[in-house]
Amino acid sequence: MAIRVWLGMAMALLLTSHSVHATPAYARQTGSPCADCHAGAYGPALTPYGMRFKLNGYTDTGGKGSSIPAAIQLIGTHTVPTRGNNTTQLTEADLYLAGRITDHIGGYVKVETDNTGNDHFHTKLSNVDVRYVAKELKLGGRDATLGVSINNSPGFEDPIGALPNASNFGPPAISGTLLNPSSPNALATRVIGAVAYGVLDSSWLGAVGTYMAMPRSTLSDVGYRPSDDPGKLSGTGYLRLAYMKEFKHQFFSAGVVALTTKRKLPRNAREDDITDLGYDLTYQFIGNREHILQLSYVNILEQRDYGSTFSAPFAPGLSTKQHVAAHDQTLGLTYTFKQSYGITLAYLKSTGTHDPVRYPPYGDPATTSQLITLFWAPFGKEDSWSPFANLKLAATWFRFTKFNGVRNNIFGVAPGLGVPVTNARDLDQFSISASVAF
Amino acid sequence: MTRLILARALRGMTIAGMFMLWMTGSPYAQAGDAQAGADVFKSECSECHSAKQGHNKKGPSLFGIVGRAAGSLPDYHYSDALHQAPWTWTTDKLHGYLSQPARKANPGTKMKYSGLDDPKQLEDLISYLDTFH
Repeated sequence: MAIRVWLGMAMALLLTSHSVHATPAYARQTGSPCADCHAGAYGPALTPYGMRFKLNGYTDTGGKGSSIPAAIQLIGTHTVPTRGNNTTQLTEADLYLAGRITDHIGGYVKVETDNTGNDHFHTKLSNVDVRYVAKELKLGGRDATLGVSINNSPGFEDPIGALPNASNFGPPAISGTLLNPSSPNALATRVIGAVAYGVLDSSWLGAVGTYMAMPRSTLSDVGYRPSDDPGKLSGTGYLRLAYMKEFKHQFFSAGVVALTTKRKLPRNAREDDITDLGYDLTYQFIGNREHILQLSYVNILEQRDYGSTFSAPFAPGLSTKQHVAAHDQTLGLTYTFKQSYGITLAYLKSTGTHDPVRYPPYGDPATTSQLITLFWAPFGKEDSWSPFANLKLAATWFRFTKFNGVRNNIFGVAPGLGVPVTNARDLDQFSISASVAF
Repeated sequence: MTRLILARALRGMTIAGMFMLWMTGSPYAQAGDAQAGADVFKSECSECHSAKQGHNKKGPSLFGIVGRAAGSLPDYHYSDALHQAPWTWTTDKLHGYLSQPARKANPGTKMKYSGLDDPKQLEDLISYLDTFH
């Protein structure tokens, strides 16, 4: 039973890690095909032009008046897990409310319906980002953009798109940082906050904000289960600083991010003091968009000071540690040809302080995994059959090289019990997916 | 005899040169490679402009830009600065406009472009734009 729970958790982490989003509503609003904002015509990785659109609060238009600020995405997936049965099913159906409300207010809201198995569907409120923005300002003779983002995922507001909640791509984690959407009891989509941001000379980016957890009743109303609770937050601060440099054919960025909070999890527990500090580097070669190369690296370190400890039921006298760390790293590389054909390679690593009580059976929460995706996005370009509707076919191989800190017998099954041993690679999964957005 | 042939040849070349100048009306026009200009257009212009007729993006369609009066597309909302600009987009005008930051060339414009400082690319680009009529 416990092993099934672990396997379910691993699969959930895996699915979270390569969910994608695309919003043809923006293409209709701007008159620009998807490929102007996204390196691969289906997304999600943003070009510098797409970053500016996000910074401008999703308000830029093609000057042709209003368009319907909505889009739909359907994803069907044929999954071939190393263990378990192959499945072919509609895995996700999404509704996007996305676009300009006024010249200064715009937004992105995703309502996601997931197939939780056997065609049981579960709907929840996914990412929300509603912005007010003041564009084309002058501060001390320099070009400036100032804005406020109301959003539900710390880091989602970031235009560069490297932070885990912005890319919706973080390492599958047993411990995991607060900024990683794949961490247990992640904050992503389950908190609400405001972030004020500014950009100077299109290069210097600064953002500061705060978040609070949604009440449990509200979480339930928007589709989350009690086990999804991120806990009660207080004194939460978010800071993001980055330098971006766009050359004619290339883009480079270097940034730092910080998140600090006091969290009660569960909500009647004592407060844990948690601080994330991270940095990220990105590089894009864009050229004339025939060959696009995107490289990114994100490194986030979390320090936790637990408000309480607990003892091991299996070893009286042995307690959890009070001061621990978690560490998430993601290295990603994507090459896109003609904005239609591409390959993504990613290496994901999540580690943490050794704690035999908190992380059974080995006391090590380390997880390492790799992702290889081949994709084809035939539409979404100006000369496409439809620049505003889109299709993506992808073949993805997600493989684990370490889970629970080890490669083999990851659940620590004692020999002789007749229970099959599970190795990290038994969590691997191959999938072929078809995504349509319109 | 030889001098006569040379004189005739020189006169012929002069007339041909004058004819070419009359045809182009500009020392820049026809100097570029339109095919190479397509690549320049992709990297410099295509995020904000389409060369398709009637297709406005963040910027107006550049179909028929050469020879068009500035700020004159009826279905595009121009800045006041460009709407009131008194010029026509000749190849000469495009050359001058695109070789510097747009805000310097037309103060008050919405266009955010830092300018193209490679003369060969600029000529290629203008030749490419001149193919859309």
